[in-house]
Amino acid sequence: MLMAALRRLGQTVFVLFGISALVFAVFFATPGADPTARIAGKNASPQTMQKVRQEYGFDRPLPVQYAIMMKKLFITQDLASYADRGELVVPEITRAAPVTVSLVCGAAVIWVVFSIAMGTLAAALKGTWVDRTLMMLGLVGISIPVFWLGQVANLITQNRYHDTWLFSWVPALGYVPLTQNPWGWFKALIIPWVVLAVLFIGVYSRVLRADLVALSGEDFIRTARAKGLSPSRILIRHGLRTAMVTFVSLFGMDFAQLVGGGALLTEVVFGLPGVGRLTYQALTNLDLPLIMATVMYSAVFVVLANAAVDMIYLLLDPRVRDAR
Amino acid sequence: MKRVLPLLCGFMLAPAAAHAVEAPQKGGTLRILVSSAVGTLDPQISYVGLTKFFETPVYDTLLTYPKFAGPGAQPVIPNLAVNVPLPEDNGLTYRLTLRNGIHFSNGQLLTLADVVASFRRIFAAGSPTAGPYYSAIKGADACLKDPAHCTLAEGIETDVATNTITFHLSRPDPEFLEHLAWFHASILPANTPAHDMGNTAPPGTGPYQITDYNPTTHMRFERNPYFHEWSHDAQPAGFPDHMEVTFGLEPESAVTAVENDQADLMYENVPLDRLGEVGSKYADQVHIFTPLLYYYATLNVNEPPFTSLKVRQALNYAVNRHAMVIYDGGSAVAYPQCQLLPEGTPGYERFCAYTAGASPQNPAPEWVKPDMEKARQLVQESGTKGMRVTIVTPSGGKSDNTALELRSVLENLGYKASVHSISPAVHFTFVQNSDNHVQISISGWNADYPSAASFLDTLFACSNFHLHSDNSPNMSGFCDPRIDDMMHHAAQLTLTDRAASNAMWAQADKALMAQAPAVPLVQTKRVVLVSKRTRNVIITLNDEILLSQLQVP
Repeated sequence: MLMAALRRLGQTVFVLFGISALVFAVFFATPGADPTARIAGKNASPQTMQKVRQEYGFDRPLPVQYAIMMKKLFITQDLASYADRGELVVPEITRAAPVTVSLVCGAAVIWVVFSIAMGTLAAALKGTWVDRTLMMLGLVGISIPVFWLGQVANLITQNRYHDTWLFSWVPALGYVPLTQNPWGWFKALIIPWVVLAVLFIGVYSRVLRADLVALSGEDFIRTARAKGLSPSRILIRHGLRTAMVTFVSLFGMDFAQLVGGGALLTEVVFGLPGVGRLTYQALTNLDLPLIMATVMYSAVFVVLANAAVDMIYLLLDPRVRDAR
Repeated sequence: MKRVLPLLCGFMLAPAAAHAVEAPQKGGTLRILVSSAVGTLDPQISYVGLTKFFETPVYDTLLTYPKFAGPGAQPVIPNLAVNVPLPEDNGLTYRLTLRNGIHFSNGQLLTLADVVASFRRIFAAGSPTAGPYYSAIKGADACLKDPAHCTLAEGIETDVATNTITFHLSRPDPEFLEHLAWFHASILPANTPAHDMGNTAPPGTGPYQITDYNPTTHMRFERNPYFHEWSHDAQPAGFPDHMEVTFGLEPESAVTAVENDQADLMYENVPLDRLGEVGSKYADQVHIFTPLLYYYATLNVNEPPFTSLKVRQALNYAVNRHAMVIYDGGSAVAYPQCQLLPEGTPGYERFCAYTAGASPQNPAPEWVKPDMEKARQLVQESGTKGMRVTIVTPSGGKSDNTALELRSVLENLGYKASVHSISPAVHFTFVQNSDNHVQISISGWNADYPSAASFLDTLFACSNFHLHSDNSPNMSGFCDPRIDDMMHHAAQLTLTDRAASNAMWAQADKALMAQAPAVPLVQTKRVVLVSKRTRNVIITLNDEILLSQLQVP
């Protein structure tokens, strides 16, 4: 067990090193990306450029610059943005994370509940018009780009019908902290939750239906049927539990990726100051410290989610346990 | 083009209406939306328009640009100093008297020591304009080389008895007074640390102070309790009690929020696709003004085919400025630019050397239409037809459309043209560096203050072309000693005869256009939307909308 944990830790460190080295190398290999002139300001004198170069350590070899950046990011945690010397990136991410977690958790609840309901119902009524309608709706959800849906939602709720009884409750775009005003927090997030969840409802319900349909021909389902169990019991107790292996696997990766900043477009469209928007801002300004920090943050989540998914496998599928 | 035209009708039919004059109203909270933050708050370091916009009511300089509109608002006026000094010793000495009784927002009295320390700090903290704007002060060269030990002992002399401060220059600087008014010369307490203050705003002397700032989310202004109005024209007292800035809403969403009265002012321009809507429904909440900003295509005179004057002139003849105006939002918010000085700068004289029926020797009064026949003939004579040309443009927005239009023009002239879109974050530094061999790029230029030199000298003088550097504002790599002399002479004349200086700058503008190191495209206007409740919108040439003067109930 200890060895497995150590192996997992080793893999994590290796992945993080690889990603960070790649981000760093790509940044400095990009023509025009040298931040000196941008920090020094337009038409700055060569002496001012030199001052900036020395202060930021841009005159040192790249491996040394990389090592210093990693030390500042992970050990001293005082890595400052290139766009604003006063902006320390680690506290910035710490402040942004609750916004992203709020957005993603709410959306996750919606997409899990709806996709399980839709997928199970479609599988139970396989071949009927209900099945076809639900799966078509799922496909529509998958096909709609989230930024477009978000803009349309804003257009309807903030613009065209904002003054009607239907949407007069919709607050201005932006985030309201849960600790400050729970009802305001809920109102500010309900539309972003739904918008973010739509794509995943489509994906998950279709995957779940396909798994349930495939499982219906498996030996253990036939056995359950032979034992005279009711179709609903077979579907939910035996089929759904096994089909959830794929579901959970997908969920773990998607959830981690979103919490790590993948909900970028939703955050940008709804003006939510989360990790995704921070990433967007970092990329817009080509601000390496912020890019590095947000990428590392995202990578950590994905690696951790991988480990968590492996654990949940053990609980869900006895065959995996046996394989150990 | 078809898609944009109908949207403009609103503005054409319903220009921004002025609010009726009402009694001034103090108090309230002004809510401002900005899509992304301003970076460092240090008034001596930051070099972005947004910071200047926000810090105008927070910091003061010895002299300042007028805080009122109109034709008399060009020359600098006294602010923390009681007088605008006359140049002495052929422009080598400037003597100013400091006002008495002014306090910083921390209660500290402003003294001569603060003034001297602030000028030292420009070098010690590494202000971007330390070299270009303040290097004429005696001792500045040593400060640039060794900022940590900067004293400016020979350059700044003070007399406590008379409360005067005297600047000694090592060489005449025709724009020294404008530089004293530039916000990097803000006067801060002498004990302000000699490094970029980042997110902490040092105390200032203006009517407001910044009390809370997070560059990703918000900024808050409160009144400076120690402020009293010493000159309404220089630093007027503010109306709102508080100002709250929210960062993060894209301009599309900001328009909606202001329309819904969820905010009072959006900093960014109204996006092109919303111009029709705000022009027709919210015309009385829209304010349009013309900053000293124009867009142009830089032609690298050291990269073929633009090494040939005929090619540069051909492109100037061929570009359809009317199309460029459409891409910028239409005639209500942009107009054709045909010269290198924008309207509003000293020395501006309208002319167009490259349009149908005109030439550098016989310019037309304004741009009429392209002259493709002449352009093709010039390309033919240059022998460069068939060459490859890559247009480098900042990705996104109207620049892409402008670049595509230019590509089409170049292809019409017989070149194999392509567009290389790069991140706006690096575009400006990328196109400046001669190592990147950029042939032609789309750029915009906004002067710090109304000055012909800020356009002509900065963008086309030999001294502003630096090989292998990301900081080489003469992006065309243009260098003509004859025109350099003309510009130098025009600048020196500022010290003695402004009218003659302006006439000389106008000549330099014509001489540069004859060499065509760039293709001027459009001069644009700012379109700003305010809420229904916002009153008293005062727009100045240098500071755009005066935040402190906006009134909200």
